[in-house]
Amino acid sequence: MKDLKTYLESGILEQYVLDDLSAEEKLEVENNARQFPEVKKELDEIENALISYARSNAIEPSQKVKTNFLNSINNSVQLNNSSSTNTEGSSVISLKFYKYALAASISLLFISGVLLINLNKKLNESYVQLAVLQADNQKFSNQVNYKESELRDTKNALQFYQDPASYKLVTLKGSEKAPEASLLVALNEDKEEVMIDLSSLNMPSNDQEHQYQLWAMVDGKPVDLGVFDAKQDSTGMKKMKFIKDAQSFAVTLEPKGGSLNPTMDKMMAIGTI
Amino acid sequence: MRLKTKITLSEPELVHAILTKDKNGAEALYDMYSSSLYGVIFRIVQHEEIAEDLLQDTFLRIWNSFSSYDASKGRLFTWMVNVARNIAIDKTRSKEFRNSSKTEDIENNVLSLDRLTNTEINPEIIGLKELIRKLKPEHKIILDLVYFEGFTHVEVAEKLEIPLGTVKTRLRNAIITLRKVFN
Repeated sequence: MKDLKTYLESGILEQYVLDDLSAEEKLEVENNARQFPEVKKELDEIENALISYARSNAIEPSQKVKTNFLNSINNSVQLNNSSSTNTEGSSVISLKFYKYALAASISLLFISGVLLINLNKKLNESYVQLAVLQADNQKFSNQVNYKESELRDTKNALQFYQDPASYKLVTLKGSEKAPEASLLVALNEDKEEVMIDLSSLNMPSNDQEHQYQLWAMVDGKPVDLGVFDAKQDSTGMKKMKFIKDAQSFAVTLEPKGGSLNPTMDKMMAIGTI
Repeated sequence: MRLKTKITLSEPELVHAILTKDKNGAEALYDMYSSSLYGVIFRIVQHEEIAEDLLQDTFLRIWNSFSSYDASKGRLFTWMVNVARNIAIDKTRSKEFRNSSKTEDIENNVLSLDRLTNTEINPEIIGLKELIRKLKPEHKIILDLVYFEGFTHVEVAEKLEIPLGTVKTRLRNAIITLRKVFN
């Protein structure tokens, strides 16, 4: 210790006795008290002085405090005994409780596992059913679309039959390439319509790479009126493009989608209006 | 007061008796220290009934947690008075206490404490009263705030608006005076 006297007079020992130091400061004082008899002696004197001071300020409490204190010590001894048995009992109970709780938890886990597997199975079944239903649905809507287009064609045809006066009918006859071929073209100048009658169509069936193309001859020049397919089961009237002042119609066999100019050596049918 | 029947033991004997949970130890403990501890508690809570309840709590705490007392670190009473002071201060800080008692201003407390000391002082040491008068008032007030009311040095410095160093010096001087008086 550098300066024992300064330390003794610093007031820290008084603070120690009065319990006004931090834990570390207390520890330091205690270490010094062990190391230096002077510090220990000073602490003792401070303590004695304060004990005497407390005694000089003492007030006698009523006798009942003593009785209560001594009684509660007896009671607490009994209480301790009985409460310790109680805690034993309760710990047995809680152990039992935990056992049951554990068993219940495991059962619940197992049950929920089984339920989960079942649910998953049902879910997969539902997915399959859903896919089947969707496929059915697609099939039906395809059918509806097909029927609708058939209905449209039929309506067109019906229109033609209802009002034959306003349609000019042109029958195209087969050329040398297809002497048997024939095709009926209906022309309505007022409504600006050109239709071909697929029901009465009599043309050799075209393959996948080729389509028939209808042409109108206007002032000696061919004008494209669109392509069509010739199938045995085709029905109804097919609407084609319209051109004014057509003098004649012709059909050529062209690569699929049609050509800009007719391939003259594939001329299949021709008819003058 | 049956003073004659009071049990007194030496401090090591008492410590041993408490550690072994000897019933005589409990009685000796109470007889030797109850009035000194009650003096401290009463000065803090200023209410006879509460102070007596707290005194009982204090002895129970001392009895039940006696293992935390380390005789090598100081006197038994120093440890006990800290227990008592903490219990009493905890009480004064409780909501229940603050609601129930219209706590007087600290200044008033100090005055009433002095009155109390004058009227209810232990008759055994009545002669010491004159000696304690040797304490300078400015020393005594600091000593009482710290020792009897649990103020920290810092709190005393703030309350009395004096430097912390002055608090320490005055406290030390107060205790030196007491040492002269009692030793």
